Formats: sequence, C-alpha cells, structure tokens
Amino acid sequence: MTTQKPILYLVDDDEAVRQSLAMLLLSRGLAGSLGSFESGEAFLEGAELQRCGCVILDMRMGGISGLQVLEELKKRDSWLVVLFLSGHGDIQAAIAATQSGAFDWLEKPCDEQRLLDKVGAALAWAAEVGQARQLWATLTDREAQVARLLASTGGTSKEIARQLVPPTGHRVVETYRERAYAKLEVSNPSELLQFLQRFWI
Amino acid sequence: MATVAAIGWAGQRAAQGEADALATTMRGAAENYALGLQSAHATFKYLPYTVSRHPDVLALLADPENPALRQRVNVYLEDVNRRAGSLDLYVMDTRGLTLAASNWAEPARSFIGNAYANRPYFIDALAGRSGLFYGVGLTTGVPGLFVAAPARYGDAIAGVVAVKVSLAEIETAWKTASTPIFVTDQRGIVFLGTVPLYRSTRPLTAEELEWLKSNQQYGPVTEFTPAPWTSYRGQGERGYLIKARLDKVAREYLAFDKPLPRLGWTLTVMTDRAPVAQARHAVWLSGGLGAGLLLLGGLYWRLRNKRRLERRMARQEVEQRVREDLTQRVQEKTRELQTANQALQQAHTFRKAMEDSLVVGMRARDLEGRIVYVNPALCEITGYSAEELVGRLPPYPYWHPDDLEKHWRESSAALSGHAALTGFESRIRHRGGHDVHTMVYTAPLIDADGRHSGWMSSVVDVTAQKQADERQRVQDERLQRTERLAIVGEMASTLAHELNQPLMALANFSSAARAFADQDQPGLMIESLDAIKAQAQRAAEIVRRIRVIVRQRTEGGARAEGAEDCALNDIVARVCSLVQPELRLRQARLATRLADGLPTVRGDRVLLEQVLLNLAMNGLQAMQHTPTGQRVLEIETAAVDGGVRVRVADRGPGVGPEVATQLFEPFFTTKDEGLGLGLNICRTIVESHGGRLSFDNRADGGAIFTVTLDCRP
Repeated sequence: MTTQKPILYLVDDDEAVRQSLAMLLLSRGLAGSLGSFESGEAFLEGAELQRCGCVILDMRMGGISGLQVLEELKKRDSWLVVLFLSGHGDIQAAIAATQSGAFDWLEKPCDEQRLLDKVGAALAWAAEVGQARQLWATLTDREAQVARLLASTGGTSKEIARQLVPPTGHRVVETYRERAYAKLEVSNPSELLQFLQRFWI
Repeated sequence: MATVAAIGWAGQRAAQGEADALATTMRGAAENYALGLQSAHATFKYLPYTVSRHPDVLALLADPENPALRQRVNVYLEDVNRRAGSLDLYVMDTRGLTLAASNWAEPARSFIGNAYANRPYFIDALAGRSGLFYGVGLTTGVPGLFVAAPARYGDAIAGVVAVKVSLAEIETAWKTASTPIFVTDQRGIVFLGTVPLYRSTRPLTAEELEWLKSNQQYGPVTEFTPAPWTSYRGQGERGYLIKARLDKVAREYLAFDKPLPRLGWTLTVMTDRAPVAQARHAVWLSGGLGAGLLLLGGLYWRLRNKRRLERRMARQEVEQRVREDLTQRVQEKTRELQTANQALQQAHTFRKAMEDSLVVGMRARDLEGRIVYVNPALCEITGYSAEELVGRLPPYPYWHPDDLEKHWRESSAALSGHAALTGFESRIRHRGGHDVHTMVYTAPLIDADGRHSGWMSSVVDVTAQKQADERQRVQDERLQRTERLAIVGEMASTLAHELNQPLMALANFSSAARAFADQDQPGLMIESLDAIKAQAQRAAEIVRRIRVIVRQRTEGGARAEGAEDCALNDIVARVCSLVQPELRLRQARLATRLADGLPTVRGDRVLLEQVLLNLAMNGLQAMQHTPTGQRVLEIETAAVDGGVRVRVADRGPGVGPEVATQLFEPFFTTKDEGLGLGLNICRTIVESHGGRLSFDNRADGGAIFTVTLDCRP
C-alpha cells in the first residue's frame, strides 16, 4: 500500500493570518501541498475531505464557525485531522473541541516553534489516519457493518447476525469478521474497537 | 412468570378447594341416596322369607290344586302386600308357576298362572339363595326390585316367594335434586335414575347382550345405546369428570360413584362443575388483572377459612340435612366470595389506576418520617424504586447534597406540622445524577379511626418550568450584559481578538523571514518583512481604537459634558435590579444598607452604575466556591466627610497579598476568561469623578471594595 503524502489546508477569514501561516510553512518546507480558504463554507465546498491531510482551522470566523466546520467534517466522515486556531476567549471551546474529535489547538498568537511542532504532529497523525482509512476502505460494506457492530456492541456473531440488515447466519458473520480482522490488521474485538476509536471512524 | 405461576396456582388451589367441597358434598349425597336404596331392599329383604314360613303358603305348595287354600293364600298375600307397601307379593312352585299372588283380584295383570322360571331372582331362590333382581316386569311392564326367598319344606325347597318393590318413589325423590343421580347394574347399564335409562356406560359383550335378551331384564329393551356422556376418571376417590351434552349445551359434571355391593349396583351422583370453574375463574381473573393479589389473597383465605369452618360444621349435619341445601350453600358462598372479590377488585383496580395515572408523585410518611408509601410517579421523579424508598427515614436518598440543610429544615417543619400550605420548592437529586426541581405540598394523613398517623405529600416536578425560567434568565442576563458590561468589557474583548490576528501574523512572518534569510531566499524574505510592517501598523491602529473607546466611556467625570446630580442610593437601587439575574444564577443573596439623606454626587450616572455593577459582579464571582447559604453580597451607602461612600462586600476568599499589588493593573486578571480591564476601568472612572476606589479584606473572610466620591463643588 502506498502512503499518501498529507495535504495541508488553512482556513481563516483573516488574510494576514492565512498568508503568514503559508509563508511560515513555506519557509519550513511544509507547504508542499497547501490549500487555503477564507471561510468554512469555501473550505467544505472546495477541499478534498476524503483524503489524508490536516486542516488548520480558525475558531472564530465570519460565516460558519470553526466548530461548525468540525461537526460537518465528522458528519461527512472526513479523514482530515483538525488543528484549531483559537483567539482569546475561545480557549475553553478549543479544549472541548479536542475532546470531540479535533487533534489539537493553538492559541493566537503563539510561539512559532510551538506552532511548527503542532503542525508537524498533526501531519504525522494525518498520515496514520490516512493509512487506517485506506485499510478501512478495503472492507466491503458488509464487513464494515459487521466490524462496527462488533466494536460497538461487543456482541457474539449470533447476535450480530440478527442485527444485520438483511439478517444472515452467524457463520457468515464469522467469515466477515475474520476478513475484517485480517484487513485491518487486528486480532480481537478490543483491538478493533481501539482501531475505530483511535481513528474516529 | 412467578406471578403468572402464582395466579395459576391460586386458581388451581381455589378450584381444588371448591372441588374438595363438592366432592365432600357429593359423597354425603351418594351415601344418602344409597341409604334410600338399601333401606328399600332391607325393608323387603325378609318379607319373602317370612311369607314362606306361613303354614298356608307351605300347605299350598304341597297342595297347589286346593282352591280354598289358594284363595286363603291370595288374601293373605294381598293383605301383607298392602301393609308392606310392596308392588306385588307372590308364591311360585318349583317350576316358576305362580300359585298365588297379591294381585289375584286384578285379572288383567295378575301373575297367577304365569311362569317366571327364567327370572334370575327365581333361579337364585330355587338354588337356596336369596334372590335379588331389578328389572322390568314381564307381565306388567313396570320396573321394580324383585326380592325372592326359597320356601322350604324341611330341607327341600318347595317353591319360591317373591316380592316386587317399586323404586319409583325413590326415583321421584331423586328428581327433586338439581343434579343427575343414577344407578348402574353390574353390566354398567343405567336402569334407575334421573338420566335417560337403559343406556350403557361401558361396552357390553355379546354374552352379556345375549343374557339380557334371554332374561328380558329390561323388558322390551334389548339394545343399549351408550350413555350421552363421557367419563374422565382420574386416580383417587375424589370423583371424576363427566362431560355431557344436554339440550345441545356442553356441560361438565363432577361424578361420584358409590358401590352398593349387596345389590350389585353402583350409585352415581353428579354435580354441575360450574362452581369449581367459577372459583378458579374468579381467582384467575383477579390475578390476571394484576389487582392486588396479596390483598385479595388475604381476604380470600379469610373467607375460605371461614367457609371451611362452616363446611366442617355442615359436614356434621350432613346425615340429617338434605343434600341440596349444602350444595346451595356452597354455591352461595362461592357467589358471595366472587362478589366480595369483584367489589374489592374494582375498588383496588380503581385506586391503583388512579395512583398510577397520576403524574404527581405521592409519598406517605409516618409520624417519624419513615416513608410508608410511594406511587409510581414519585419513583419516576426521583429515579428510586418503591422498594428503595419505603421504610427510609430522613435523609432520603434523593435529597440534594448541596441542599441538605434546607431539606432537613423543611422535613422537620413538615413533620412537626409547620409545612406551608402553599407548598415549598425543593431541589432533589435524581438517581441518574441530574437535578429535579419539585414543589412539595404536605397534608396530615388521618386514618379510619380519625387518628393522625402520618403525612401525605404530593410532589410536582417543575423542572421543565424551572429550566424555562432559567433560560429566560440567562437570556435576560445576556441582554443586560450587552447593554451594560459590553460597553467596555466585551468591546475590549472583541478588539483584543482583533489584535491577536496581526500579532499572530507578525510572529509567523518574522519566523518565516528568519528562515528565508537562513535559506538565502531574499525575495521571500523581503515579502515577509513587508508583511511584518503592514501587520505592525494594523496592530497599532487597533490599539488606538481601543484607547478611543475606553476614553470615551471613562472620561465622563464630574466636569464633563452630560454630568448630572446623581443620588447614590438610586444608582445602587438600579445596580441591585441589574444583578438580580446573576444573584439567582449564583444562588446568592443581596443585603443592602442604605443611609438616608445622602448628598447628591455630580457625575455620569451610567459610568457610576458601571463601576458598582462591575464591583458587584466581581463580588458574586468571588463567592462561587462559598457554600450557598453564605453567599451574601452586601452593599452599603453612607455619608463621609465631604462626600459619600458606597461599599460592596462579598464572602469570597478575599484578596491575597500577591494579587493585591496588581489588582488595579490593566490586563491583570484572576479569572479564566477575564480581560483584566474591569477594575482598572473602574478606578479610572472613579478617579475621573474625583473619588477613590480602594479595597480591604474582611476580618471574617471576603473582600470589601469601597468607592468614595467627593460631593464638594
């Protein structure tokens, strides 16, 4: 499997912030593939959401807020890793956001080394997520369904067989399960659950 | 499942009890009916023998052709027959030929001259045994019991004397019984009773049929159709079940057999099974409705025991009493029980439905405060099951941990009879962890004897209403804030955020410029440096705007345009009304001590309000870790030398020495989200009015901020 190089998106309504970030990343050789957007709406419209990458997202913008963008990304099952930029007064919200799926947050303004460290970490994580997503994408619908049920309910194959739509036999479920395990490189339900939780799948 | 099983069991048990009662009744009845039959037999048992000992009878047997003798015997037989109450009495010779008979005078049906040699009773008697036979008379076509005895002349049998006894009277008596009674012979043929006769209760063998035919036991009837019922015999002597279709209606009977060994018959009494089914049904119904099985059960057992006692007494009377009477009593009792059950059931079902449908929680406590009853709504409101609550003394598990003192106070007030009639508000903690706001109304519980036995409380969940109020309050507060505090604070916050943008850009551009310099990329480096210049100018512009706003809002002062004479108490009153939402939110109280006759202050009313509002808000925020009961904000006004003074005191932790030195510095804050401009602005405003803002720690905890304003012109 080829490892995709993570893309980096910048979303901030302040042009100076966008440009300065781009310049900073460029100076560190991190702007290989960079996309910048002046609003959440433009970002959701124009960015590729199902690919390995990271988005530096301002919390307070005209139009939809950064938090709303995060919700939308989750809704659309995006692979993108979110790094929030938060101004004064948004810090509590930024911390809360990391608990609901954002990778991390940065206070505006902040020390450039801190910023670069976090962006680096976010990109590394994005690569991992991208890899996991690619593994997940190899699952058939049925295998994915079984894997989700297994992770969420911890049920036996018989129980899962009943919950499936349309229902099927537990032997079939076991086959799906084994295939899912093999594809996701896990060996038991708790590893599977870890996999799904870790990557916010 | 257990309940269903218990109901089933109770039903069976009731049915069994009823079946037992019926079986006892039936056994008694069977004994009685058998007694009638046996006494009929016993009465006439020795009659043929006695008659055979009469000299004239023996003489006639020796001399059958003697007309005078025959006539004497005829008259004798007629006389005895009449007195004994038998149907016919007659004397036969050894060939079965009737020599003399009680009915000699009725030629149409007289036995005289007829031979009955093939009748079983004759055969038995001729063989020296006593003959006994029930059958239809060959001459008369009338059924009867034939009893015969040999007439002995010395050792020799000279003839047979027979008496025919009618069982019609017994049969008639049976017909008054409401339930079927019948007698079967040794072949299982029903020959006597209140059911269709000459039916077989078991299949007959060809031999038996042949015998019946040749002996003409039942006259012209030689074919025996099966009885119109089916027996279901279980083990035990309690009787068995008979299912029949009578008048096209399926019916069930309990049957009881009483063998009559001397007669070779079996007497069967049957009784309608309905009361049994009713008893079972009554219990099943009550159980099935789920209505107070225990309560009913208790009553049921009491009634049942009472009934058992009565039944035992009745059983002693059984020998003398007519059976129907008892049966009727059993039925009456059953009905009585059913009625009682139903009435109770209705009452209970009604009450239960009423309580279950209530959305108001109900809680009954005894005089000590022990919970004795809760309804489902109360369980719903508190999240605790009835089992977890009943029996508990205060503190109850749903008491709110932050309001324990209030709960104790209100609980003891209610238990001592001082509960407010209008009810009181009580915040409780649901088992699930969330808060529930309730209104509690308490009234004394008076029992049936008029005794005060406890307290009944109704508990109304007002959480939704509370939450609506809360939302309204938050909205109010937000509005107030934007109206008042936003003027300085929020605007500054917005500007601060705005300032962060160029600062961020500055940091980034300079870092990039540095990197480009290292990488020897002058083009990009210059681009970054230009951007830095632009962003620095942008930041300076923002700072200037902040200055302007702060100055505009603070540099009112006593001599500024728009200055007016302000009454300090009015300003305080206005501030008090502004902090009301915050007081509710923070569960704090406000205590004001306002001095009368204060001189007015020259200044900007709105700005002075801002100062006091800021101090009040700070005080309230400082008390967030103070126990609720102690959160008191005190505002006091007083006249001082040459001016007025207002003090705002809280019960918070006070101001620590490390904080005290920086307290009025701009951008110094102890609050997570604070800008650190509040006190600084306050001081600026106060000073522009020629006054002073100072603070002190209270000896017993908390901080006091004092604003002193000069009133001299």
